[in-house]
Amino acid sequence: MKRRDVMLGGAAVIAAPAVAQGQAARTLRVIPQANLTSLDPVWTTAVVTRNNAFMIYDQICAQDAAGEIKPQMAEGWVVADDRLTWTFTLRPDLVFHDGTKVTSKDVVASIKRWARRDPFMQVLSVSVADVEAMDDRRFRFRLHKPVPLLIQALGQTQFPCFIMPERIATTDAFTQIREAVGSGPFRFVQNEWNPGQRAVWAKHDGYVPRQEPVDGLAGGRAPRIDRIEWTIISDPATSASAMTQGEQDYWEYPLHDLLPIMRRSRELVVDQRLLEGTYGVARFNTLHPPFNNPAIRRAVAMAVDQRDYLTAVAGTDTRGWGVCEGVFTCGTPLANEAGSEILKIRSIERARAALREAGYNNEKVVLITPSDYPQINALSLVTADILQRLGMNLEVISADWGTLIQRRSSKEPVDRGGWSVIHTTASGQSMSMPVFHLFLRANGPDAWFGWPEDAEIERLRAEWVDAGNPAESRRIAEQLNRRAMEVMSYLPLGYYWQPSVWRRNVQGVFRAPATVFWNISKS
Amino acid sequence: MWSYIIRRVLATIPVMALVALFVFSLLYLAPGDPAAVIAGDQASPADVERIRASLGLDRPYLVRFGAWAWDILRGDLGTSIFTNLPVRTMIAQRIEPTLSLMLVTLILAVSIAVPMGVIAAWKQGTWIDRAVMGFAVLGFSVPVFVVGYVLAYIFALELDWLPVQGYTPFAQGFFPWMENLVLPAIALGGVYIALIARITRATMLEVLSQDYIRTARAKGAGQRTILFVHALKNAAVPIVTVIGIGVALLIGGAVVTESVFAIPGLGRLTVDAILRRDYPVIQGVILLFSFVYVLVNLVIDLSYTFFDPRIRY
Repeated sequence: MKRRDVMLGGAAVIAAPAVAQGQAARTLRVIPQANLTSLDPVWTTAVVTRNNAFMIYDQICAQDAAGEIKPQMAEGWVVADDRLTWTFTLRPDLVFHDGTKVTSKDVVASIKRWARRDPFMQVLSVSVADVEAMDDRRFRFRLHKPVPLLIQALGQTQFPCFIMPERIATTDAFTQIREAVGSGPFRFVQNEWNPGQRAVWAKHDGYVPRQEPVDGLAGGRAPRIDRIEWTIISDPATSASAMTQGEQDYWEYPLHDLLPIMRRSRELVVDQRLLEGTYGVARFNTLHPPFNNPAIRRAVAMAVDQRDYLTAVAGTDTRGWGVCEGVFTCGTPLANEAGSEILKIRSIERARAALREAGYNNEKVVLITPSDYPQINALSLVTADILQRLGMNLEVISADWGTLIQRRSSKEPVDRGGWSVIHTTASGQSMSMPVFHLFLRANGPDAWFGWPEDAEIERLRAEWVDAGNPAESRRIAEQLNRRAMEVMSYLPLGYYWQPSVWRRNVQGVFRAPATVFWNISKS
Repeated sequence: MWSYIIRRVLATIPVMALVALFVFSLLYLAPGDPAAVIAGDQASPADVERIRASLGLDRPYLVRFGAWAWDILRGDLGTSIFTNLPVRTMIAQRIEPTLSLMLVTLILAVSIAVPMGVIAAWKQGTWIDRAVMGFAVLGFSVPVFVVGYVLAYIFALELDWLPVQGYTPFAQGFFPWMENLVLPAIALGGVYIALIARITRATMLEVLSQDYIRTARAKGAGQRTILFVHALKNAAVPIVTVIGIGVALLIGGAVVTESVFAIPGLGRLTVDAILRRDYPVIQGVILLFSFVYVLVNLVIDLSYTFFDPRIRY
């Protein structure tokens, strides 16, 4: 006897099954990658908040599957001959979820709030004189000097510029907004939000998608389902069971260990949705011994075999990961391996000899692992193994992610609560250009944790921002890679694909730089 | 009696004050920084500092504790750092699943464990006794999450009798509500059943050796009457005490059970808040748990007068 047979007896006291089934067909039930705790995509950079924001808000322009930036809310834009003024025109049919029309004042206020937090736009802001509304549908950027990357910043996926009503967008960029009102294809159902359990979006009936077919995040963002329900299931085994039993339709980030089970089910599709892989990073603290010595950092790099790391995270199936021995995202225009020979040595013996030559004097190495973050934990344990095999004086500290991200900000030596090596992961997009490549920066105290200092890297980075053409941009990128391999402030650990799982009756799933739910329906 | 109740209720005030001070101090000293979680990897140290300041986390310990304590006195548990929702609202959203789980587990555990303990004591030294004690050892030894996974595998995946995860509010009907609670309650109840069954057996063995039981037997009372009327009633005080103490076990176990079965209760709210360092939520939930625990123990103390009329307050 099946559960549903038993429950049939109770049908009189619950909702009519036909109604429930009809509703189920119009509802996409999703297990998101994490709990949605904040709705403000400017206040926090959490990916889950950004994915939620893609449903609620629209963008001026957006990235297509080839990485090109295409108009989205904008009908188009015109660049003046002197390249010092960019004028954008909005589409005429844009409406917020509260029924008010989207005007250029809303756009300008949203840009200003976003620009205060986005690292990419902060680099460009020094060249921006003003951004101002001209009339209801037109706004313009006035520049001190030409900024060829302006459109890349506005259309980026890493820290997208989402458009909110002016009354909300005037909130301080460091204060969380309280209302989630956008003009995107889905509206947030605030009264059904139970953080940690459920978040719900309903189709925005007033949304007029672009006519072009969907293409990455560009093209028509047509909502083809009435309702999207995120259910937070923190336990991966429970998520897997919920998918196989048909209790959920879509699982954004299945654990790699569970993929074989998912693949065995005829009802499920396991495939890539994101266009770029997730990159692993091992970061050295360059302020204190032993890793304040670049020769020691390079010695450790000689022992690294990215395949070990990637197997630990994503298993032995080589379709699930890729070696990428440069600092820029593989497959993107700037990807190169100039000077990366050191990462191809892959020898513990040679690394041990190099370590001796570099003058390693048995200084203590503290490596912090995040036990509640399976992928980063796996990367950390592989590095721990390498350091042990190299004969370094290693202490491994297991902490939760919340503790790790606080401790990594400590600039103290290891005996006073500091650290030597930490790991993290980053999206391919975030490492595709020098302008927002966190781990490449070497501006000392202002650099990302580990605080490397190298004037040459900073000079090349600034030079790249002003590069006039792709060839020059590429040349500088090669110089940057070469120099990064000499400085070795972090170890690139390759990339793994993060597939998603959905049930066969979910249709219209497409590849994009972020997990979004327009164009998707259920049969 | 009433003066005792009033005294006990008043005594909860200093207890709760101590709990509040302890929880706040512990969180203040614990590593972790919600501002860093919010800001993410892209943020500069200055951005993190600005967020910390906007959240008031840069203020001195005494100022922060004073502000929080003042809010508590006015019945305001504060606002979640992350969700911007009042902690009271978040607790209200989550309290039903946890209460439901604890209630069903409690009923299930008591109705199974007490007869088990009584029978084990009655059949002391036989295979029944050994089987009950063996089950008790198993109940103590196997972690809740293992029991949960095994139950979900058998009854949800293989037999398809019950759902794998989730919670249906009681307002949507008794059967859908119960359907989601059966497996979690069994998983969570294992330790509790083991604890109560062992205490029941031990207490019953002691009571069964008393003179008045021999007298009852001599007067020709039946075995059932001796066990359930004479012995169990006299053994009830320690059993009820253990049931009360076990509420703490249930609260702890609920955290794991709610994660395994994706039940959106207070246990998961606590874990999520701890991982993110959402201080107002952690403080609010722990205060609530402490209050519930104190209250349950008060009820247990009062119930002694029902089981043993010799006890007077």
